[in-house]
Amino acid sequence: MQINTDDAILSIHLLVVPHLQASRARLFKEYKEVQREKVADPDIQLVCDDTNIFKWTALIKGPSETPYEGGIFQLAFAVPEQYPLQPPQVRFLTKIFHPNVHFKTGEICLDILKTAWSPAWTLQSVCRAIIALMAHPEADSPLNCDSGNLLRSGDLRGYQSMARMYTKLAAMPKKG
Amino acid sequence: MQPEEKLAGEEVEYQTCDPGFTTTDWATFRDDDIMQQHNAIQAEEAVKKPYVSDKERNIIFLMQEPLSVLSEEYQSGSPILLEKIQVLSESYAAIRRTRGDGNCFFRSFMFSYLEHILESQDKAEVDRITANIEQCKKTLQSLGYADFTFEDFFALFLEQLENVLQGNESSISHEDLVQRSRDQSVSDYVVMFFRFVTSGEIRRRSEFFEPFILGLSNTTVEQFCKTSVEPMGEESDHVHIIALSDALGVPIRVMYLDRSSCDAEGVSVNHHDFIPTVGDVQNTTSKGVSDFVKPFITLLYRPGHYDILYPKQSGKQY
Repeated sequence: MQINTDDAILSIHLLVVPHLQASRARLFKEYKEVQREKVADPDIQLVCDDTNIFKWTALIKGPSETPYEGGIFQLAFAVPEQYPLQPPQVRFLTKIFHPNVHFKTGEICLDILKTAWSPAWTLQSVCRAIIALMAHPEADSPLNCDSGNLLRSGDLRGYQSMARMYTKLAAMPKKG
Repeated sequence: MQPEEKLAGEEVEYQTCDPGFTTTDWATFRDDDIMQQHNAIQAEEAVKKPYVSDKERNIIFLMQEPLSVLSEEYQSGSPILLEKIQVLSESYAAIRRTRGDGNCFFRSFMFSYLEHILESQDKAEVDRITANIEQCKKTLQSLGYADFTFEDFFALFLEQLENVLQGNESSISHEDLVQRSRDQSVSDYVVMFFRFVTSGEIRRRSEFFEPFILGLSNTTVEQFCKTSVEPMGEESDHVHIIALSDALGVPIRVMYLDRSSCDAEGVSVNHHDFIPTVGDVQNTTSKGVSDFVKPFITLLYRPGHYDILYPKQSGKQY
């Protein structure tokens, strides 16, 4: 039995390239949409990297009446070539004390970024979902156990003061 | 097993079952040896996938096979299943198996529908479904979906539809259709098109679907669509089939191959016809209208999986 490596390479090639074009086209549409929506959603500022449409950053406002209020949080997006069939990888660049965000890496535990992803989501709506997650932490699936344990044990005050402290330290402009 | 037989003639660098291997002093077995072996396995797998095409589970669609492959599969299995396969083989000649990745219903529907258009060259049907697709697009827009989130998926399906009609520069053959449907990037985009259409239909008629969805998953219609319809790899249930059949106006027959036993009088195979009706009337299922509509798409359901069935009288060659 002869193994035809040329065929294997060709088929891999065919599988990758259309995705790349499709994801580029889709991201370009999102880019145009973001320019249009800037005024509509003042809580989110999504910016595409100057040289790479697969790299984005976002500044989101901490939701009001949460310990994150007043803070500005930076997110980093790495968009895979199979986007939008596969979700973007998103993490917090700004330190945040939240049960569903890894304290060291900024990794986010959110179903739509994993199994519940669908192309109906956009980078913009992912930002909205992350803001919603900030306001409604899921203490039962924690990436930050200290934060999750405070909430699960009912120590709302403890959680809020820790979260508030880190918001002040990391997400607010330094005074003076 | 099949794949091992196929490898028998090849030179294989490593052999996990080599008796000499087991006597190796494990202390001297270093990380890079493990890495090397790991790479060898990967390299072999990578070559095998496109090559052992028709037997490989990773292939999205297998070739059409005679129905007897089913009885071979269940040879040592339940006698009820074997009897049911016997009954099936009276009306059906062949099966085309699809990959079990949670998208099998949508993939089977896609292939079966496009193959039907390719063979029938039914332009009236293409016009009809194109009008329905336009309606589905309006539904999504009215539900608040941004055009750019779904338009690429719609465009790709419409392109396939156009290509299976002959007489254009872009027309494709049956072989091309098989090839294309096996191409992950095409196939996944069409699956996603169906998922958008299904989700839009369920949400548009949420009052009708709500009781079914409550029974299935105890979530809201909105939540169900977000978590069980729109994401790739989420399996399809009756709700999905009804919604897709209604939205596109395409009747679907599902034959059920399961262990449900029958009455004393012989074995029969249950089936269910999903018959769409025009306008806002709900899917009429197997009563009334179905006497006049004969589904041209027949799927075989085995618990958790859908494949395509080919009826005997259709005059296709096997």
